Formats: sequence, C-alpha cells, structure tokens
Amino acid sequence: MDPKITEVSQAFERFKAAFVRNDFDKCSELLSQLKVLLTKFKSLPPLFEETPNAIHELTLARDIYEHAVVLSVKIEDLDAFERDFFQLKPYYTDACGRLPQSPQEYLILGLNLLRLLVQNRIAEFHTELELLSAIALENPCIKHAVELEQSFMEGAYNRVLSARKTLPHETYDYFMDLLAKTVRDEIAGCNEKAYDSLSVNDAQQILLFSSDQELVEYIKVEHPEWEIKNGFVYFKQARESEPCKEIPSLQLINQTLSYARELERIV
Amino acid sequence: MAGAATMVSSAGGLLAMLNETHPALKLHALSNLNAFVDYFWPEISTSVPIIESLYEDEEFDHRPLAALLVSKVFYYLGELNDSLSYALGAGHLFDVSEDSDYVHTLLAKAIDEYASLNTKAAEAHNESATVDPRLEATVERMLDKCIVDGKYQQAIGMAIECRRLDKLEEAITRSDNAHATINYCIDISHSFVNRREYRREVLQLLVKVYQQLPSPDYLSICQRLMFLDEPEGVASILEKLLRSEIKEDALLAFQIAFDLVENEHQAFLLNVRNRLPSPKSLPSESVHSGSPEPGSVQSENTTTTEDVQMTNGSQVDGNTSSPDPREAIYAERITKIRGILSGENSIQLTLQFLYSHNKSDLLILKTIKQSVEMRNSVCHSATIYTNAIMHAGTTVDTFLRENLDWLSRATNWAKFSATAGLGVIHRGHLKQGRSLMAPYLPQGGAGGGGSPYSEGGALYALGLIHANHGEGIKQFLRDSLRSTNVEVIQHGACLGLGLAALGTADNDVFDDIKNVLYTDSAVAGEAAGISMGLLMVGTASEKAGEMLAYAHETQHEKIIRGLALGIALTVYGREEEADTLIEQMTRDQDPILRYGGMYALALAYQGTGNNKAIRQLLHFAVSDVSDDVRRTAVLALGFVLYADQEQTPRIVSLLSESYNPHVRYGAALAVGISCAGTGLSEAISLLEPLTSDVVDFVRQGALIAMAMVMIQISEASDSRVGAFRRQLEKIILDKHEDTMSKMGAILASGILDAGGRNVTIKLLSKTKHDKITAVVGLAVFSQFWYWYPLIYFISLSFSPTAFIGLNYDLKVPSFEFLSHAKPSLFEYPKPTTVPTTTSAVKLPTAVLSTSARAKARASKKEQDKTNAPKSSGAEPSAGKGKSIDKDEDSMQVDSPADKKAEPEPSYEILTNPARVVPAQEKFIKFLEESRYVPVKSAASGFVLLKDLRPNEPEVLTLTDAPSSAASNPGGSVTGQQSSASAMAVDEEPAPPQPFEFTP
Repeated sequence: MDPKITEVSQAFERFKAAFVRNDFDKCSELLSQLKVLLTKFKSLPPLFEETPNAIHELTLARDIYEHAVVLSVKIEDLDAFERDFFQLKPYYTDACGRLPQSPQEYLILGLNLLRLLVQNRIAEFHTELELLSAIALENPCIKHAVELEQSFMEGAYNRVLSARKTLPHETYDYFMDLLAKTVRDEIAGCNEKAYDSLSVNDAQQILLFSSDQELVEYIKVEHPEWEIKNGFVYFKQARESEPCKEIPSLQLINQTLSYARELERIV
Repeated sequence: MAGAATMVSSAGGLLAMLNETHPALKLHALSNLNAFVDYFWPEISTSVPIIESLYEDEEFDHRPLAALLVSKVFYYLGELNDSLSYALGAGHLFDVSEDSDYVHTLLAKAIDEYASLNTKAAEAHNESATVDPRLEATVERMLDKCIVDGKYQQAIGMAIECRRLDKLEEAITRSDNAHATINYCIDISHSFVNRREYRREVLQLLVKVYQQLPSPDYLSICQRLMFLDEPEGVASILEKLLRSEIKEDALLAFQIAFDLVENEHQAFLLNVRNRLPSPKSLPSESVHSGSPEPGSVQSENTTTTEDVQMTNGSQVDGNTSSPDPREAIYAERITKIRGILSGENSIQLTLQFLYSHNKSDLLILKTIKQSVEMRNSVCHSATIYTNAIMHAGTTVDTFLRENLDWLSRATNWAKFSATAGLGVIHRGHLKQGRSLMAPYLPQGGAGGGGSPYSEGGALYALGLIHANHGEGIKQFLRDSLRSTNVEVIQHGACLGLGLAALGTADNDVFDDIKNVLYTDSAVAGEAAGISMGLLMVGTASEKAGEMLAYAHETQHEKIIRGLALGIALTVYGREEEADTLIEQMTRDQDPILRYGGMYALALAYQGTGNNKAIRQLLHFAVSDVSDDVRRTAVLALGFVLYADQEQTPRIVSLLSESYNPHVRYGAALAVGISCAGTGLSEAISLLEPLTSDVVDFVRQGALIAMAMVMIQISEASDSRVGAFRRQLEKIILDKHEDTMSKMGAILASGILDAGGRNVTIKLLSKTKHDKITAVVGLAVFSQFWYWYPLIYFISLSFSPTAFIGLNYDLKVPSFEFLSHAKPSLFEYPKPTTVPTTTSAVKLPTAVLSTSARAKARASKKEQDKTNAPKSSGAEPSAGKGKSIDKDEDSMQVDSPADKKAEPEPSYEILTNPARVVPAQEKFIKFLEESRYVPVKSAASGFVLLKDLRPNEPEVLTLTDAPSSAASNPGGSVTGQQSSASAMAVDEEPAPPQPFEFTP
C-alpha cells in the first residue's frame, strides 16, 4: 500500500480514537494535519486524477471530511461546519458515480439544511433542496429538515419547537437549540411591526420565554432599542420611509433641448 | 467506472479551503483555483475579497499567486484596470509568452497604459517619469520576447508607441533584414506617429542606424535627412558618392539628387547645393584660401570619406595648375549634380517630355470657344484658363495664336489672366521665359507701352514659369515691383515674386512685399498677403504675428483674406507648433480670419490625417455662423486627409448631403483635392449626384472636383469617365445652362486633359513625402472662389506622369521596357471628332483610322529611307510605344477600331521616355536582356540607367531640342536628327511670335 495512504489512515485512526474520547482539541489538531496530507492526493477533487488507489483515497478522504463536519457540530463552530461541508460536497455530487453511497450522506445533508434554516438562509436552503433526488427526500433526516422549514414558513412556531422531540440524530440537537433562537428572532421581528407596545407578560408568552428575567436579558442583548416601561415593552416605531427620490427634471429638460439643438445642427 | 469524465462541478470546496488556517491548505486552494479559474470565475468572483486579503497579507508566502488569481477574475469581470494592477503584482507569475486571451488582453492593456504614460510624460517634458517600474518591466519583457522570437515588426511597433527608442534600435539592428525593417519603420513612423517632434526623433535614430549598416541605402537616408532638414548630411553623402571611383556611385548620387528635387523643397535644395564642396583644382576658381596643400587634401579624400569638410565651397585651392584627373571627374560630376539640384535638369526634361508627348485635343477647345457666348466674359476667360491648363508646361500656344481676334476681347482683369496664362503654358521654360514674356513686361521707363493689366499678368506669368525655381528671375521681379505704383502691376509682381521665391524665406523680398502691403490698396494688398505666405511657407516665423496684426488693422476685406491665407501658408506642415496661431485665428471675431484659420488647420496638418484636426474641422463645418468658414472647413478636410484618400469620401459623405450648398461645395472640393488623380470609385460615386445639384456653384465645384479625380483615368478602366466627358460637353453646349456651372464645366474639361494629357495632380512624391509646391498650389487654387486669376495655381500641382531614363551624361538613351497590361487600359483618350456629332467620340470613323495608319506607314518609310524622322507634333502615334509587331502592320493603339479581328495584346513595349500613368506603375517591368539597368527600380519619374555595354555608341532619343519626333528605332544619331528637324539643335522650342491682343 502507498505509504501516504498508510500515513493518512493511521492519523485518521488516531483522530477517530480522540473523537470517541471527545477530546476535541486533539481532534482539531489531527484534522488540520489530515487536511494538509490530503492535498497531496491527486485523485481527490478538484483534480480527480485517475490513480490506482483513487477509490480508496476518495473513500478515505470522504470519511475524514464527514468526521470533520460532525466534529464541527460538536464543537459548535458554524464556520468550520460550512467550510468542511463545502469541501465534502464534491465527494457527494461529483464522485457519486465512482463511490458507493456513504451511510452518513443524508445525515450530513440534513445537518446542512438545518444549518441554513438556522441561519435563516432560506434561498440557499431551497437551492440545496432542489439538488436532492426524490429518494433522498424520503430519508428521515432530510424529511425532518423539510418539515421544519414548512412549519417555520407557515409561522407554526410551536410545531418547530415540538419537533425537538423527534430528532433523527443526536447531532441535530445543537441546531435545534439554535433554531429556537431563530424562531424567537422571527417572532420579535413580527412584534415590532405588529404592536406599538406589549405588556411584559404577553411579550414573555409570545416570545416563548419561561420567565420575565429571560425576556429582559434577551431584550438587552438583542434589541437594546426596545424600552421596558411600566410593565410594558415599547417597540421603537418603524422608521419613517425615506423620501422618494426626486426626478432630475431640470437636467433631463436641458439634455433633451441640447439634443434637439444638435440634431438641427447636424448637416 | 465513469472516472474519466469526472469533473468538479463547483469551486465551493476550494473556496471554503481558502478560509482554512493552515497556509499549505490556502496554497493548495489557490493553485487549484488558479487552474480552474477559466470555468469557475463567476463563483470565485464572490470570494475575491478573501483572495485580495491574502494578497495583502504580508505574511503569506504566495502573494503573487493570489494576485494572479484576482487579476484573472477581474479580467473575466471586464475590469481591466484592476486586472492589470493585480497582474503587475503577480510579477513573474504573469507569463507574457502564455498564449491565452487573458495574457493577450492584459499585455495590450499594459502596453497601452505604458505608452500613454510615456507619451504624456514626453509631451509635458517631464523628465521625472512616474511610470510604475513593474509596468515598465512587464513591457520590457514583452519587447525582449518579441525581439528574441524574431517578431521585429511587433517589437518596432511597440517600441515606437512606447517611445522606447533604445528598444527600437535594438530591434532594428538585430533583425535579419535591416533594410526591410527600417522601411517598415519609416512607414509606420509616417502613418502612426502623430507628434512631429517625436517623428523627428525616430527618423534621426533611423538615420543613425542606417549609417551603421554595412551597405547603407543612400536613397532612403537622404530622404530621411531631407525630412529632418539636415542638408549637411545629404551634402556629405553626395560628395562621398561623387568622389567614388565607381561610376555607379555617381549614378546613385544623381538619382538621389533627382529624388530630392521631386520633393520640391526649394530652400533645402539650395542649402544642399551651397554645402557641396567645390572641386579642389578647378582652374576657374581663383579664391586663395589657407587650405592645406593639395597633396594632403587629396590623400585625405581618398582615405577618409566620412569626415568631409563642409566649408561652403570656399575650400578651393587655386594654385594647382595641372588638374588632377580625379578632381577633374569630380568637377564634372559636381557641375552635373548642381544642375540637377537646381532643378534645371528635371524641369528641362519634363518640358521636353511634355512638349514631345503633347496630346491635347484642340477640338475640345474649339468646341468650347464656339459654344461660349461672346459677351459672357466669365465663360470667355474660363476658356482662356482652360487653354492654359490644358497646355500647361507644353509650350504649345497654337490655340492662342490662331484665335488672336477672339482673344482680344479680353479686357481688364481678363487680359491680366490671359497674359498670365502664357506663364502656365510655358511653365518651366526657364531659359526663355523672360524673352517670351518680353513684349508684355513693363518697359523700363514709366508710361511705356501696354496696359497695366497685361504687364501685371506678365509678371505673374514669370512667377508661374519660374515657380519654386526663381533664383534667376527673383531680382527682376523685385525691381519691377519696386519701380511701379500701379496696383495691378503690383498685384502681378507680388504673386510672381511669391511663386518664384516660394519657401525661401528671403527677408529682403519680404520687406519689399510688405511695403506694398502697407500701401493699403485692396488689389495689391491681397496679392501681397498671399505672396508673403508663399515666401514664408512652412517657416512658422514670427512674421505671421505681424501679418495678423495688419489684418486686424486694415479695412479692406480683400487684404484681410489675402493675409489670412498667407498666415495659413506660413504654418505649412508645422502640426502642433501651429496650434497657438490656429487657436488665435479660429477664435477671431472676423469670419475672414476664421476662414484663414481653416486653411491654417488644413496646411499645418496636411496629409497627416490627424484626428484632432479633423475633429476641429468637422466642428467648424457644422457650427460656424459664416458660410465661408463652413465651406472652407469642409474643403480643408481634403488637405488633411490626402495621404489616406480612401477615407475622405467616407468622412465627407454626410456633409455632401447637407442642406447648406456651401458645405456641399466644400465636400466636393475636399474629395477632389484628396482623391486627385486616383479615379477612386467611391469618390466618383460621391461626386456624381453633386454634378447635377440644384445650386449652380455646387455643380461648378463638383465638376471641377470630378475632373481632378478623373485626371488621366482612361475610359477603359472606369466607364464613368466617358460619361463625364459627354456630360461636360452637354453642359458646355447647352444654351440654358447657368454661367457658373458652365464655367465649371469648361474648367473641368481643361483639368481633365491638363498638360497635354500627360500630367496628373500629385500631392505626395514617390517617397510619400509631401510636395510643398503641389499642396500650396492647390490651396491657393481653391481660393479661385474669390479671385479667378488664382486658378492658375493649380498648375503647380501638376506633375508629369513619365518614365524618363537617363544615362551618365543625363541624356535620354533609347531604352525599352514593358507595361504588362492591356494598352487600352492606359491609353490617351481618343481625340474628339467634328463637334457636331456628339456620339462620334465612341466611333472613330474609318477615314480617321486609316489615315492615321497611312500616315504612320509613310512616316516609317521615311524613317527607313532618310534615317531622319520628322513628323508633326499632332500625329497620333507620336510618343506612343512602338507597336509589338510593327513589321506586319502597325498596331496603333490609338486606332483599334479597324483591328477588331485581332485580340488586344496583353502587354505593350514602351520606349524611354514614356508616359506611365500612376495606375500603370505596378505593371511596369524592365526587360532583362536590356542594355540599361535602372539604378533603382522605380516605374516613373527620373531614373538613372546603368549602361552595361558602355563601349557601344549610345542612341539618344530625347535630345536637347524637344523635337516632336517619337522613337526612332532605326538608330539615328543626334546630329542628323536635329539637322532634319525644323528646330535648332541647342534650343528650346522657339518662342512664339509675339502677338498683341490689345482691344
């Protein structure tokens, strides 16, 4: 076997061991090494060169990146998640003809959908969705994300929150927490538009907080422009619409006149 | 396995990798992105900020790679400026030899940028160049690569554009064919280098390179030196050649001299002539100077030829009584070359050629004369003008002499122009000019003889005869100018003096003319203004300011107009130098001065096709309030564009449809001026509708312009020529036609057949140098709108279409060469027949053709018998090439009507000197077994011939006496011929009998 592959395999084994031990620092360190090692393989994207060990290397690399994605969820690093996912994606989309499907594929895709939902990047969410096959849509991991999105769009926030109970995989937990916050932000946004003020109690209920304390904390961090006065939360009035732009009529008139003059002058 | 087709579908992964912390990953991502940027630039473009930040990250090792990637993305986004600046950041990663659109585009951009920066710096005379050194390095890399790859033309182009003369020199010296490269270089420097000063620099460099070559091309060097106005250089080259032992070198020197003369730069030629050192032991010269002793001088001359002393001919040693044979040869040669440089040889030969080959058709004139109403003085004088133009330079004044009675109807100014017309007819008749005009010239004492009009006209005529070669006559004209107070005579004398001293910038003459100007007489002042301009042509002297000041002072429009044109003439060819003056004139309140400004623009930028000048002219053409200015602005376009004739019809085509008749008129003349003699199809198409315009003067202009375009174009090459001739005839015969257009038609028929059908209008010499006299002539000619006598200036722009081969003695030996085209393509138009049958032009009657043949046979027999040919000048076959199989039957090209059965031969043998029209030049071939070989392979003009069999007796054809005899194949000797001829041996055609036409 190619010494490089051996080297990578060994490092990957150590990574997995650390991963099981939940030694995330060690994991990150090993992962970085692994990634550098992977750049040496010509068979990997984007080159996809035909080498004797191509299949093996591809499989190995895919495995490593899948672990990397899961790791990023565990250490709750969204940027790393995005980065690793994009690097993993070519293995799913471009190499699918050559590799057997990964058991983790739908799980990871579902996680990504969820991430987009959490970050409120609905357009990208749907783009991703369009790329999936009908079979994939049947998969519980994907289906979960799709249903969540539907409830979210409908405004059935309670359904979103209750979906916590039917998680397809433990890693989804982190995203569900984030999703709750996203939902709250949505509600807060609606409130602002809908009401001038609300009583603290109502606000607490609407925003799905369990106590006033949490509400006050939330307002302080996220919406410092809101005011709490006399047991009421006052939302800042919607900003006045900007004056519509003036039509540069004088300039236009001048231009037209000069055109007319020029036209007359031309031969 | 579908492996082979596996392609990455998105750059997302790589872009994500850019955000990794490990530098190795970043590098991996960058290099892969760089490889795939052609496919994924839209995706990458969203991440450009990340890559840019990598480039700006001081700690990142591969910043150039990042720069290259960003540059490529910007290139795809169409942001070439950003792309270029990042490409420069990429340093050597930006590979100039890469064959991709990206690299090509960016290189072009880089060179443009560099060139514009350098040009700006050079124009601002700012030594501290602020050019980005990286940019410079890139351009240099590109230049070096071109030179190494042998793409010298590209390298030269870039070097010139970027003002890198060092690289230019390198490219030329390293190219394998330096001569071809230099010629290419000359071409582009003339056509693409707009700044005059810079062009001078380039040419100076070229001359330098030329001189370093092992076998310099002296012909080209001298042309360049002439452009640079360095008579010393030319003189030293000429001397070197003249002193050479080899005869060919002397021939080459003569050839150079003839070529220089062709450019008509009088002041320059004078300078060269004065700088040519006189032979050391010329016994006639007795100037004792402290020159070194003869022996050392001569040895010095034999060994070192480079360092010729330029002592203005004063270095003469008169002590030597026994002339060294070498010196004797040199002396003989120097006399010859002085003769050539003075222009006398070429003028004389031209005169002989035009006289002997004169084919003008008197019937046309007769028709015109008969159809013109007696009382209509405009048409009457137009006929006189036409006669002069038709016979310009031929010395044939038969028409005038036959119609003395009719001529005498001319009064006042008509008389002035009638007399001046003689000058046009006898143009170049230097030796006898004065005696010819003697009967009309003002007689010594006041109140002598004739009317002032004919006296003034005679002085003007003298100027025309001596135009641009006025050394001999200048003094006489000055005296005449000073000794008269009659404004008509002053008028004539001023014009004559201006013509004779064209471009000499002689201060004494200038002062004389100025005195006339200050008399503030309208008639004389106008001529004085023009004359001052002629005198100062192209000098850009501060005298222009003086003239401008007077133009503001005087009340007479005529004087202002004369001065305006004069000022314009002074800036001839000065390009940017003239800008201040042009600005001043074009902003003047007075429309006449603005009108002069148009001429200044036209003349300063003549033949350059300068975009700025064109833009300005077009602006004035559509926006000025004065019709005169608008007309002139359009007309001026013709001058600016004449070097690139194809453009003119396109540029003025819109203007020619203007609602304003003045603009249409200008458009017609612009086309006429710039396309003169080309027969350009677009030009004719543009003029055609204008010849039937609703406004009479537009018709006039269009007819004249059309004639200028069609001059010497035969009906066989463009059928519209025939149609145009018939149209002219119709207009002239039509009783109801307007006087204006009738006059146009009359003049047009004159121009169409100008100079005995042997001249064309040429503004460029063969070496693409502008011919000052011709351009100035046309410029003043275009003034005839205000002053008809100025029509005669058109004769300055005529140049004979002849091949004249000369031997070492500057005589014309019998020599044959081939025109590889159908004779009918370039033949003379058929003579018209009896004017009553208009369609006769097409069908020559049998009587005519057989009689011509009979005549030809008779003359041939006579030749065989007496060996002394003598035929009348009007004989159709005269001067035409020998027919190919003349033993069988003379295949006269002039009478093909009776040869229908025989196919037209595909070639024609021409005999020296022969008429070779410009379009014919490319068909000229020299026969290989011929006795003479031309020194340079030119198809027209004066060509020196090398004699391969110098021991055999030479047969001369065109001898000193311009006898009308054509080629005499029998081999007659000069003496015999002349004894049989009616003319005396050593004489020009005899002066015509004096005739008076006093009313």
